[in-house]
Amino acid sequence: MSAAEPPREYRLLGGRIPYVEGPLKVTGRAEYTDDIKRPGMLVGGLLRSPWPHARLRAVDVTKARAMPGVYAVLTGDRYPTPFGVLPITHDETAIAVGKARYIGDIVAAVAASDERTAEAALAAIRVEVDPLPEYADPQMGLGPVAEPIHARGLAGSNIQKEVVQHFGDVDAAFALARHAIRVRGNFAGVTHGFTEPMATIAEATPDGRLTVWSATQVPHYLHRALSEVLGIPMHRIRVIKPEVGGGFGGKSDPLPHEIVCAALALETGRPVKIRFDREDVFLTNHGRHPTQNEVRIAADAEGKILAYDIQAVIDGGAWSSFGTVTTYYNGVLAMGPYRVPNFRYRGRRVYTNKPPSGAMRAHGGTNIRYSVEVALDELAEAVGVDPFDLRARNALPPHSTTVNEFRITSTSFRACLAASRSKSGWDGKFRKLPYGEGIGLGAGFYISGSNSPIHFTPKMPQCTVHLKVDMDGGIAVHCMQADIGQGSNTLLAAIVAEVVGADLERVHVIRVDSDVSPVDLGSYSSRVTFMMGNAARRAAEDLKGQLLRAASELTGHPVDQLVVGHERIEVRHRPDRSVSFLEALHKAMEKVGALTATGAYSSPPMGGTFKGARAGTAPAYSFAAYVAQVRVDAETGVFQVDHVWAAFDCGRVLNRLAVEGQIEGSVHMGLGQLMGESMNYRTTRLMNPSLLEYKILAPQQMPKVDCLLVGEDDPEGPFGAKEAGEGPLVATLPAVANALYDAVGVRFYDLPITPDKVVKGIEERRRSGRAWKGE
Amino acid sequence: MHLHPFELHRPTTVEETVRLARGLPGGFDWLAGGTDLLPNYKMHLNVRPHLIALGGVDELRGRSGGRVGAMTRLGDLERDSEFGASYPGLAEAIGEVATPLVRESATIGGNLLVETRCFFFNQSLPWRESLGYCLKADGDRCHVVPQKVKCYATFSGDVAPALAVLDARVEVAGPDGRRSVPLLALYDAAGDGIRRTHLGPGELLVAIDLPDSARGMPANYQKLRVRPAFDFPELGLAAAGRIVDGRVESLALAAGGLETYPRRFDELTGPLLGERLSEERIRALAESVRLAVRPVHNTFLAPDYRRRMVAVFVRRAVARLGSVPGGTAG
Repeated sequence: MSAAEPPREYRLLGGRIPYVEGPLKVTGRAEYTDDIKRPGMLVGGLLRSPWPHARLRAVDVTKARAMPGVYAVLTGDRYPTPFGVLPITHDETAIAVGKARYIGDIVAAVAASDERTAEAALAAIRVEVDPLPEYADPQMGLGPVAEPIHARGLAGSNIQKEVVQHFGDVDAAFALARHAIRVRGNFAGVTHGFTEPMATIAEATPDGRLTVWSATQVPHYLHRALSEVLGIPMHRIRVIKPEVGGGFGGKSDPLPHEIVCAALALETGRPVKIRFDREDVFLTNHGRHPTQNEVRIAADAEGKILAYDIQAVIDGGAWSSFGTVTTYYNGVLAMGPYRVPNFRYRGRRVYTNKPPSGAMRAHGGTNIRYSVEVALDELAEAVGVDPFDLRARNALPPHSTTVNEFRITSTSFRACLAASRSKSGWDGKFRKLPYGEGIGLGAGFYISGSNSPIHFTPKMPQCTVHLKVDMDGGIAVHCMQADIGQGSNTLLAAIVAEVVGADLERVHVIRVDSDVSPVDLGSYSSRVTFMMGNAARRAAEDLKGQLLRAASELTGHPVDQLVVGHERIEVRHRPDRSVSFLEALHKAMEKVGALTATGAYSSPPMGGTFKGARAGTAPAYSFAAYVAQVRVDAETGVFQVDHVWAAFDCGRVLNRLAVEGQIEGSVHMGLGQLMGESMNYRTTRLMNPSLLEYKILAPQQMPKVDCLLVGEDDPEGPFGAKEAGEGPLVATLPAVANALYDAVGVRFYDLPITPDKVVKGIEERRRSGRAWKGE
Repeated sequence: MHLHPFELHRPTTVEETVRLARGLPGGFDWLAGGTDLLPNYKMHLNVRPHLIALGGVDELRGRSGGRVGAMTRLGDLERDSEFGASYPGLAEAIGEVATPLVRESATIGGNLLVETRCFFFNQSLPWRESLGYCLKADGDRCHVVPQKVKCYATFSGDVAPALAVLDARVEVAGPDGRRSVPLLALYDAAGDGIRRTHLGPGELLVAIDLPDSARGMPANYQKLRVRPAFDFPELGLAAAGRIVDGRVESLALAAGGLETYPRRFDELTGPLLGERLSEERIRALAESVRLAVRPVHNTFLAPDYRRRMVAVFVRRAVARLGSVPGGTAG
């Protein structure tokens, strides 16, 4: 919580706006997919592969099909059309075709009258396989392999995507450098840990239409995938997104079970529900890629960055998912918040026989940020300069261009540095706290929306918002933006209410329904506030114009003399001359009936012309400078993060409550990855598919978090705002790692940093004869 | 994942319970707090057709002086300030079990007899099926220490070590009447993760009896785990004793979370009785306890680390019992 809040110039925006759906959620009345029941609804069940890699010789479903209460049994050959979230890497199928690629891959599906019958039917399916070599480690797949997991692997290997980029002359820069730092990071895979397990309901009706309710972040991409795989035109499919209990990227792909559910509904003519338990969620994964990276930084005598040389090998698991984007992001998201004049990157994403990796909060930017920020901490030490000064010295200025042609507009990174430095009392603490206590700095940089829509044909806006107002005075807002708990419904309502001067309660955000909601591409890449916000503002301005023209008729004053007040339209400087919102509305409706208004946002052209130039381009970027303070029990290696000072630049704050929630949640999630979360595999077998053994941070481990919101208005963001959903995560991890170094003099390159690693690190340092802070 | 069908029995007296247990075909499980049993049932781990719920048996509930009914909820003991002041080490152990919400259901008897745990056992049916099951459920081999004879599942209760160092006894009722045994005599040190107690068929825990000597005895409990909530112990170390002016009047150490049963280390602490403690002696004791335990790799943290922490915990435990050199108060 920040202490003093600046005065604001808007009635609603900039305040603390409770979520509009909050009362429904906290009283249990909000409707999630699994709450929905349809008449005659069947239960869908999935048979998952117990083999990591196997050729399917025969899937015998005769016995299952004959069981009473079983309505359909599906195998991969029925709907074999491949799909995937990226149009260029369609390598998933609803049900395995030909091969099973990981323990958990779906090899058959049933629809039955109830859960027990479905389970019995799954048990009755006989699958004959030829086991194939299993590939657990991406390093095993870098060269030709006996049995590539996918035919599309590069040159007989398991490499799904290789990115090679070089800007400037990195070797020349290293030759000139006074300092060269190298950091090699190793990161366990982590998964989202959202509250609501996935659920989908599908119903095919006799009018030839298919309706799908699903817990998704991307209703539009689901809509497309259903159409492509099932061979039904999009206009005959209706996608509805009920309330969603968290996503963090885990629901940002069209997922196989969603297609299977729709297929079962088509086969049976009955509504079908598929609901996941937690193990299903772990096996579906699409979480953060297990990553091995190497960052080399060249710098001059003053610590000015001359070059980055980065490599990454990332473990994609069995499918592509967002992997091509991830491969780029693991390099190019190192581009800020510093000026990097020379840059080289080689990234490879490799298929393995494990649950697929995908997009997870601060997708592609988290692990590389860790290695870069730890390397910069080492550089500051080598140069003999304070870590804050080193970063300020290298900060990208506003309105600049990076060497790979990212367009930087607003940046308050320097203000972030100043705020966390002073509020944390850094200068009195850094290297001055007793042994076992430490303070560290980490910075952040993230895209505020991907400038490129995933699907760029046909050419369409990124987001469209429709408003409808009838005589009752309620403003219905239609948009396919997916509120997954991050507060986008609230922001949508608040922007409309702000612009037209209405009470927030007048505005009703209508549940996402492809029959009525104009397309927004979904909740991913931190795009919603920026893109939906701009579209909503435009739609509201359209409506406001209609109301002002009506008010002009009523008052006899020209439109340019009118201003919107709270629930009224006033003549400028003549508050006695005004009409109410309803008077203006009813006047405007006289000839046209209910009012409608529309607004859209298209991202501006940007980026270079080289291959991959669009990856990482965004209409704005967020910036962060976090300080963390830790206490380490040097004997047990157990440590506690006591305090995080989170200075963040999201431009103008629109909903302070939501931004603070995002920052606190990001700190929690970042600390989870740093301190305990890891998908533990023995070869390809996930050992901890449960929330007991997957170590999400416990409440007592949560530090005090000071949110220091120092951003200035962004020139293109709605009311000057930028993202606050993902950027707040990335600075957390390196800030703590650098604080651990300050505490006990040990660098940690292997995440999560479990207590045993802390003990081992301290021991190794002592063995090397290096004392720390008079220990 | 759902529960298989079972028949639920709800006796109200110990005698009725014992009688009932004799006549149930196909086997049964006691249902105490259910916080561990029911999740295990959902994973289809050794399910039985009958459950005997003990919640309605009055005699099993509540505390009277040093006697604690086996069905007393951990949360109730936590709120019992007189109990906490009398048995500080026990209170620490109880407060470390799982989460506050779980402790509202979980019972002290349930924690003493909590099922042993292992990465290869506490998994869903499809997960275990994909590996061909294990000795402890549905299979014939151990995946932790590959062989077909001994199960290495780890004893994971927090309360047993804390009771053991206070010389607690338990009262057991069964077809042959009632008997009282030292707590640790419940556990089968010669058994394994499957054959883990000396309870006979149809025997149940009635109560825990703390001797008068336990009241006010300095004692403490330390728990190793990744998170300070939720997690079962990766090591739980209990200590009790009187150390006056550096001289050991009494001292007991017990550990759980390391092997298939909780155990005391009397053979290692015994020689210190009457002796003056020195930093050297404490270190030697800590090292000897470390060498005495044999954790295996079937929990989250590596066995080497867990063993090393045994030594750290022993030093800290002894330091907390009396102001002595060489230990850092944890």
